Amino acid sequence: MPPSSRPGCTPRRAPRDDVNTACWHCGGPLPPDPPQANVAGARHSVCCNGCRSVAEWIAELGLADYYRVRTGSAAQGPDPLESAENAAAFLRPELSRHLVSTVADGKSEATVLVDGMHCTACCWLIERTLGQLPGVVDVGVNAGARRARVVFDANVLPLARIVEALGRVGYRALPLDRAALDDTRRRETRAAQKRLAVAGFGAMQAMMYASALWFGAFDGADAATRDFFRWLTLLATTPVVFYSAGPFFAGAFRLLKVRRLGMDVPVALAVGLIYAGGVIEIFTGGPDIWLESVSMFIFFLCIGRYLEMRARHHAGDMTDALARLTPVFAERIEPDGTLLRVGAFELVPGDRVVVADGGSVPADGVLETAECRVDEALLCGESTPRRKRRGEALCAGSIVAGAPATMRVTRVGADTVVAGIVALTTRAASSKPRLARSGERAAAGLVARVLVLAACTAIGWAIVDPSRALAATVAVLVVVCPCAFALAAPAAVTRALAVLTGRGVLVVRPDALEDLAAVTHVLFDKTGTLTEPAIAHDRTIARQGIDCDAALAIAAALAQGARHPLARAFVAAAPTALPAVGARESVAGRGIGGAVGGRRYRLGRADYALELERHPSSLEHAVVLADDDGVVAAFHVDERLRPGARAAVDALVRAGISVAIASGDTGTRVEAVAQRLGVAAWRARQSPADKLALLASLRAQGARVAVVGDGVNDAPMLASADVAVAVGSAADAAQAASDIVITGPLDALAEARAIAHQTLSILRQNRRWALCYNTATVPLAALGLVAPWLAAIGMSASSLAVVLNALRIGRISRKREASGMSTADEAIERRRAPA
Amino acid sequence: MNSLLLLIPLSILILVGAGVALFWAIDRGQFDDLETPALLPVLDADDPPEERP
Repeated sequence: MPPSSRPGCTPRRAPRDDVNTACWHCGGPLPPDPPQANVAGARHSVCCNGCRSVAEWIAELGLADYYRVRTGSAAQGPDPLESAENAAAFLRPELSRHLVSTVADGKSEATVLVDGMHCTACCWLIERTLGQLPGVVDVGVNAGARRARVVFDANVLPLARIVEALGRVGYRALPLDRAALDDTRRRETRAAQKRLAVAGFGAMQAMMYASALWFGAFDGADAATRDFFRWLTLLATTPVVFYSAGPFFAGAFRLLKVRRLGMDVPVALAVGLIYAGGVIEIFTGGPDIWLESVSMFIFFLCIGRYLEMRARHHAGDMTDALARLTPVFAERIEPDGTLLRVGAFELVPGDRVVVADGGSVPADGVLETAECRVDEALLCGESTPRRKRRGEALCAGSIVAGAPATMRVTRVGADTVVAGIVALTTRAASSKPRLARSGERAAAGLVARVLVLAACTAIGWAIVDPSRALAATVAVLVVVCPCAFALAAPAAVTRALAVLTGRGVLVVRPDALEDLAAVTHVLFDKTGTLTEPAIAHDRTIARQGIDCDAALAIAAALAQGARHPLARAFVAAAPTALPAVGARESVAGRGIGGAVGGRRYRLGRADYALELERHPSSLEHAVVLADDDGVVAAFHVDERLRPGARAAVDALVRAGISVAIASGDTGTRVEAVAQRLGVAAWRARQSPADKLALLASLRAQGARVAVVGDGVNDAPMLASADVAVAVGSAADAAQAASDIVITGPLDALAEARAIAHQTLSILRQNRRWALCYNTATVPLAALGLVAPWLAAIGMSASSLAVVLNALRIGRISRKREASGMSTADEAIERRRAPA
Repeated sequence: MNSLLLLIPLSILILVGAGVALFWAIDRGQFDDLETPALLPVLDADDPPEERP
């Protein structure tokens, strides 16, 4: 598959007609003499034969409407050969066992991840295509999750045929582990739906019977009929209380067991009180029962919980996207030397696999081929492929470019780096941030007060009018239930994390969100953060008698394995064969040394390499390779700004944040970069200790400092910053002391700050709203003016308002982005306007 | 009032029937995806809508 049709690529706009220079099917560029697809009597230019066969086949099926209704271009047609291979892999019994489950009456069910699905029209096309196959019983396509569930008769139709059919319309089917399917999520959804259904039915019935009682339909009737209706109400309410409200009782029980107070306690108490009171009234023939109210109450609660659950699952989809990075097939080298296409889950450490040119690495491993280029964009946001040599590690999910590579598998499945990143984000999303914890503590305090207040109400009414005591107590319990208050923080934080993950910002420590919003200073490291270094070949100066390339090879050999971006630049620029290095040493922030061919070499700034006190001025800007006789070669490093660096700095400055650069590099270099970025505050030649001192002095002045680094060289500085932002390789950052990892372009940082700000302001709004609502309604409820069912509606509505408000996070900032204006921009505009 | 004694149990039976049917549908995955099906009928029309700009 060409990398262009990987999931997540932006769909190109569909061309309207073939006057366009783009492929009619996939929207890709046309070759000089494009093949023609014959669709519905018209001829359209397409980019390749894959696209042509797909387009013609779609027309043949009578599905040409697809081209009229789609909103995004299709994936490029698959290479016929690869498509067949893909289908053949599904024939393997191991894979089938893994994928296909048997459902009733001998039918089989399989769910596949469909690659290349962009829009609703794709959904429609897939359903139609598969539905036309003989033996297919049912097809369900989920556009959001890009999944197709097929129920089919395995005797008539093997799974491979289904995959083949998908391949012919241009989609690649990827196997989904049956066990890994979001089973827990599905169970949760279904259970919630059932509870909602029972509560809805029960509440409706109970209300029906109760309204007959309310409106006095039986005023003239005997007590027996009235009791009959009361028993009916009890019958309708009982399943609602015991089935639909089950989770609330379970939650309250769990909380009380650990001697804590939470949301579920007053809810369970209210439900239990009303139900028990109702049953007693029925038996004793008392005047009022509140059973219909309690069923309505539970119904509204179930609706609230259901919506909340859906929002949570939606957030979970984001981490799914990361899990999709790893490929599902691998070409394993069998003991007899042949290649076998197997599922990636079948690999075990020690297996040897071949990754084709343009293919994804199926598991973490060690490169066995002499060298290859690897695109780790998905892991680290680095768009240029990196050169790897034999023995270097390859990460699952990265793409091999240039030539096929052989590798030995070292880690599979949950042990891979990408799985670690996924686990990290999941953990961040599930661990409770400070904000949520403080909200919970406040809520627990409120619950205690609610209980006291309810008791007071009960005692008060018992003295004044005992017949209204129960209703008023229940109303207080329900109306004051601080659900909205407790929901405020988790709803906002969950939403913010989901939005940020979607924009290439992984929040590792959820507290960092709060800290980021309060940041006043941002301190950038230069190399590897704001800029990417590249060795300027033509400006390399070598000592007499030494070839430039040979010098570069020595430098690269020294640099190999070091994680400084400059070291990586050397490795990337060097020729293929590198000499062996012994006796390595490295001095942080200064350079590296080692023995090559019996000579000691040092690579780094001139003062380090030449072991001088002062810099020789001629070598100020150079990276110097020296041996004991002096300079061997001087390399010049070109720097280009990382994508988004300028935009990030601009946006931060506009937002009123002081931006500074602290770098270990030479003054002119740092100044050049600072000028290009418009940063006035910069410091050059900073050792890690200098940087730490700078950070400490800033913080002593009361500044809240975010440090942006590449997560490896500046680990100590990152560790002592208020917010540590690591840029680039999330794989390295997973081990480093970073709070936030930016995997994409740097400008996401300013956006992340805006979203953090917005999250906090929405959180404040939510809390204020919840508090206002509660204080306003308590007196009414305590005075017996609010019926319990009305209280339930009020409570659910306030919770819902909080959740909906939280969903605005990310939406506003996107709108602002579109208009190209931030709040600071608007403020500046306003200030300028009078002048 | 005697009609009530017949009609109310009947209504309860219908209700239970509806509940069972709904549970069956939920277990068969009818409600697993609530977003996609809403979009599909739009495309099933004989005269599909114009492509969005």
